[in-house]
Amino acid sequence: MKIYVNDRLIEILPGMKVRHALIQAGLITEAEAGRLVYDEWGNELGLDGALSEGMKIFLK
Amino acid sequence: MKNLLIRISLVIILILSVTSADAEQTDARILYMNDFHGFAEPHRPLGSDELMGGISYLAKRVAELRRERPSLLLAAGDMIQGNNWANLSLGESVIEVMNLMRFDAMAAGNHEFDFGRAVLRERISQAAFPILGANVAGLDLLRPYVIRAVDGVKIGIIGLVTEDAPVATHPKNVEGLRFLPVIETAERYVRELRGRADVVLILSHAGHHIDRMLAERVRGIDIIVGGHTHTKVLKPVVAGNTIIVQAWEHGKALGVLDVSIDNGKIIAFEGRLEEIRPVQGREDHAVAEVVQKYGQRVDAVLNEEIGVSKVELDGENVRLGETNLGNLIADIMMAASGADATIINGGGIRTGLKKGILRAKDIYSVLPFDNYIVAVRLTGKEIRGALEHGVSGVENAEGRFPQVSGITFQYGRSLPAGSRITEVMISGKPIDESKEYTVATNDFLAAGGDGYRAFGDAGKASKNFEIAGGMMKGERLVYSDSGRWLRDVVIEYIKGKKVISPSVEGRIRELR
Repeated sequence: MKIYVNDRLIEILPGMKVRHALIQAGLITEAEAGRLVYDEWGNELGLDGALSEGMKIFLK
Repeated sequence: MKNLLIRISLVIILILSVTSADAEQTDARILYMNDFHGFAEPHRPLGSDELMGGISYLAKRVAELRRERPSLLLAAGDMIQGNNWANLSLGESVIEVMNLMRFDAMAAGNHEFDFGRAVLRERISQAAFPILGANVAGLDLLRPYVIRAVDGVKIGIIGLVTEDAPVATHPKNVEGLRFLPVIETAERYVRELRGRADVVLILSHAGHHIDRMLAERVRGIDIIVGGHTHTKVLKPVVAGNTIIVQAWEHGKALGVLDVSIDNGKIIAFEGRLEEIRPVQGREDHAVAEVVQKYGQRVDAVLNEEIGVSKVELDGENVRLGETNLGNLIADIMMAASGADATIINGGGIRTGLKKGILRAKDIYSVLPFDNYIVAVRLTGKEIRGALEHGVSGVENAEGRFPQVSGITFQYGRSLPAGSRITEVMISGKPIDESKEYTVATNDFLAAGGDGYRAFGDAGKASKNFEIAGGMMKGERLVYSDSGRWLRDVVIEYIKGKKVISPSVEGRIRELR
């Protein structure tokens, strides 16, 4: 499954969640420290939120 | 005189028509939540010091809001599984609370299938509200829709669940079920409801991006109450002619959507999320009692004796070499997934245990993280690469040091990192670098955690999969059981065995 984290393409297994995308992107510790994740429309996402092919998420 | 009479008649007609229109307008309220995952007690979200949520506080707010307007209370899926408070009663605790709160309808989420079909059937029959799944074929208890009247206005509620459900739970949980396309299913049932309901609402556990697509592509949907992506939609979104909302996750927010309906049309709406915090004196006491009752049961379950270990279980040296506890956990994962081998990170094992009686809470201490078992196909070359990575930081006791099952290997710490492995055997035979093997691990490593690129790269070729014979058949992913934490699988294993005595067997040998 292709996901964009801060505009960087990463690929994770089907069924994986926001936290897995951040692990793959090497950003999970920043989320654990309190930085928040948003979708492409600016909505905050939970770390256990589902992902889908081509989704764009941003850690801010 | 004649003109005057005509004018008076027109005024009377106008007054009557305005009065009639007012009489037909209904102000209704939709209260909603999604992705509760059994977080009944207030909790601190990751990265935050603030307590949020608490279903008894949310229930109190629901009661207050209901008193203001005729209301519906809806749940958009993933309610019964996740937190220990829900898991240890297999979701029964959640249904009891939802019955007490008088939910009007709920969509099934993918995690509603996590305890197996028999448990789901039981929960559906216990629920005092309909559980909906219009695009699930093969489970007749899931109704496609329900029509609820609010102050005389008929609201048709259709339930949809993500088509990805089969990859998000144990394959056996969804064996024999088909998850039909949400767009086509929505089209079919919106058409069916249009003549029978004034307002059509979709309770969608498909994700916010899919909800937007539904709104754009399917005509006739008035409202979508969503879930699955744990999206905090602060204000309602309008796409096409459809209002879309979603209320974050874990009972941290209650969604409120006020709609004015006139002649079967929504003529005005206003919505918001109300964040829920535990404020003393602001809880629903009846719900709080249920939360406490099941909380006490959680304590009892965690204190329950699950078996006996005849040996000390070594969790201290898991970053330095093979240990009996590492072997035990790796063996259980291999058996549960049916894989050829297991590779896990020693750092995921947080403590050891003394020999003697084992309690569930002991295993929770050993495996405190919410990790689940995943299995992927890797080539022998990739497995060797993973092992090389695992031993590359052994001199610093890095958490990536591997614990294994189905594999034996030899390495030398004095050799250069990346070239330390001197021998690898799988199932007693030398590894074939070009052959594919199935390897179990936890979801953290499967996402490339601890730098395990071999697992992380498996995501690059796992698009086309299907469920066949209770197993996933795909390019790389063969098993994923996100609905059952690894620690619970270990507890079940020990309960079954009653007595365990794992040992160090020479699976990992260091050249001296």
